[in-house]
Amino acid sequence: MKSPSAAAALNQVDDASGVIGVVDRHRRLLSILVGVVLVVFAGVLLGSGGFYTSLVEDILIYAIAAMGLDFLGGYGGLVSLGQAGFIGLGAYGIAVPEAHGFGPWTSIGIALVVVAATAAVTGIVAIRVTGISFVIITLAIGQILWGLAYRWVSLSGGDNGLVISGFPKLGPLDLTNPQVLAFVILAVFVVVALVLRTLVSSPFGLSMLGIRSNEQRLRTLGYRTGLHRYLAYIIASIVGGVAGILYAFSNNLISPTTMDFSHNGIITLMAVLGGLRSLWGPVLGALIITLIQQELSIYVSRWQMLMGAVFVVVVVFTPDGLWGLMRQGTAALRRRRARAGPGDAARPDAAGTEAGTGQSSATESSESGVR
Amino acid sequence: MPEFISQTLNGLSLAGIMFLVSSGFTLVFGVMRVTNLSHGAVYLLGGYVAYSVIAYKGNFFYGLLAGTVAMAAFGLLLEGTLIRRMRGRPMAELLATLGLVYIIDDACLVLWGGNPLSLRLPGALEGSSNIPVGQITYPNGRLFILGVAVVVGIALFFLLRRTRVGAVVRAGVDDRNMVSALGINVRRVFTAVFVLGAALAGLGGVLGGTIFSLYPGGDSDILTYALVVVVVGGLGSYEGAILGSLIVGLIDNYGQAYFPSLAYFALFAPLVAILLVRPQGLLGRAAT
Repeated sequence: MKSPSAAAALNQVDDASGVIGVVDRHRRLLSILVGVVLVVFAGVLLGSGGFYTSLVEDILIYAIAAMGLDFLGGYGGLVSLGQAGFIGLGAYGIAVPEAHGFGPWTSIGIALVVVAATAAVTGIVAIRVTGISFVIITLAIGQILWGLAYRWVSLSGGDNGLVISGFPKLGPLDLTNPQVLAFVILAVFVVVALVLRTLVSSPFGLSMLGIRSNEQRLRTLGYRTGLHRYLAYIIASIVGGVAGILYAFSNNLISPTTMDFSHNGIITLMAVLGGLRSLWGPVLGALIITLIQQELSIYVSRWQMLMGAVFVVVVVFTPDGLWGLMRQGTAALRRRRARAGPGDAARPDAAGTEAGTGQSSATESSESGVR
Repeated sequence: MPEFISQTLNGLSLAGIMFLVSSGFTLVFGVMRVTNLSHGAVYLLGGYVAYSVIAYKGNFFYGLLAGTVAMAAFGLLLEGTLIRRMRGRPMAELLATLGLVYIIDDACLVLWGGNPLSLRLPGALEGSSNIPVGQITYPNGRLFILGVAVVVGIALFFLLRRTRVGAVVRAGVDDRNMVSALGINVRRVFTAVFVLGAALAGLGGVLGGTIFSLYPGGDSDILTYALVVVVVGGLGSYEGAILGSLIVGLIDNYGQAYFPSLAYFALFAPLVAILLVRPQGLLGRAAT
């Protein structure tokens, strides 16, 4: 959800190329479109209770986690396979203090501190490497978090997990009411989306992109690239933890399954299926995969196989995910229109310097290279 | 002391399985730059195939052979259909093999169900024997695993270090373009290495199925081990896989025996230490 003023600012910086203006107009349209979808979501949340409420809640929660992953993977070039670990950590961060008699608000504070501290510690290790090695390290970190939840029975309840019983109340904000909870989740989603949007177009986000495409150059220019990666990792992990906190209140239960390898993979699938480096892509991915998981599984018992197959096809044929596919489609349309009319002859070639540091694709994504 | 010796042997046999799985993973990565996340799923599938063959034929060694050969064939299929389509896109390869994990796991669930299955060892291997050191009795099955791992390890070492094929593979690890420029069919080398890796994973699955059971999710457990091993030893380094397996196998086993609730921390410790001191792994080369 890019604010018009920021879009205008970006336009001024690169005013040489008319394409950016087109992309920007286009992007604003998309933002409005997605905003409308959100309102429809909210309507669904309000109107129905029960199954659909929890379905939309799940979509939003996973979308938050996947956006965090995209922030790190799409903009920082560090694709993580450990994001579900931080969802679990956030949820256990609520459940464990509650089991020891702390109130919900204290628990939320504890959860955030635990997530941030774990991210700070694991980050020191994880950002020592990039690319494929980073994926592997985060996978290992995710597995270790899972292993702790699974085997540290005295603290985590082991395989059975923990039940979340207390819910925060603050004036009108009574999360025991499912509809209030649903709107709080929606609100958090919007806030996280806005914060991440702002971050990726901030100097921090732009230097992340620079590091992604050519770390050596940025380091020569005096950027502390390691620190950038470290901060991005912590931000992404905290976003995952926030999703986990919401998950705890929405599901009333946390068990190690939430953070096992399969779920870590699923969050990554969401982000990649939708398309990295778009922030909207992961939302789309979360929507599709949660629907496959919860809706389609009613009719098709082999939904997991289907999900895997869909994912493999997307990875093989569309390097930029579904969001990238949509953009390519609209870009092709725009080009055709531009050819018809004179003037707008600028070619999108901003992506010329993709150095491929761990990004799935890149070469064809001319528009996403702008950001 | 006897307790410690048998724990050490446990650790070594665990290291043996880790070695079988991680050496395939690391060779595939080293030569092809393919991070095969479905390697654990191939391990599991190999074990399951062996289970069915043993149930049908009644002989463990048929199962051992079948699990290994079937996974080699599966590797051939996978390389020819999927991996080859994505040459030069390492992250896409990694993600596609991640998607594959869900397909293979689900297929295994359909075919073999969700209950843990165990592979039974034949006659002599089922018993235990006395070990002169420390006067302990130790299960023959684990000694068999250790023996197989050592034999495979030495065989692969000679293949890599003393034969022409091995020289090509090692050259491929160092500089693929140069190997290709020298007129060697790199594509065939890729296929061979991928098939070898899958066969090793299948063999590991059959042997692993005798001490751990085969169950849904067992693939990610073994994959984690393999990944930690190759990160500790150095991605792409065969000798690193040996060294890493020994370190991780022993530490993990001692951890599980003496600090059960924190066993995963014990697994994490060598990983952290290595990454802080030597991010490329003990025997790995600096990242390229």
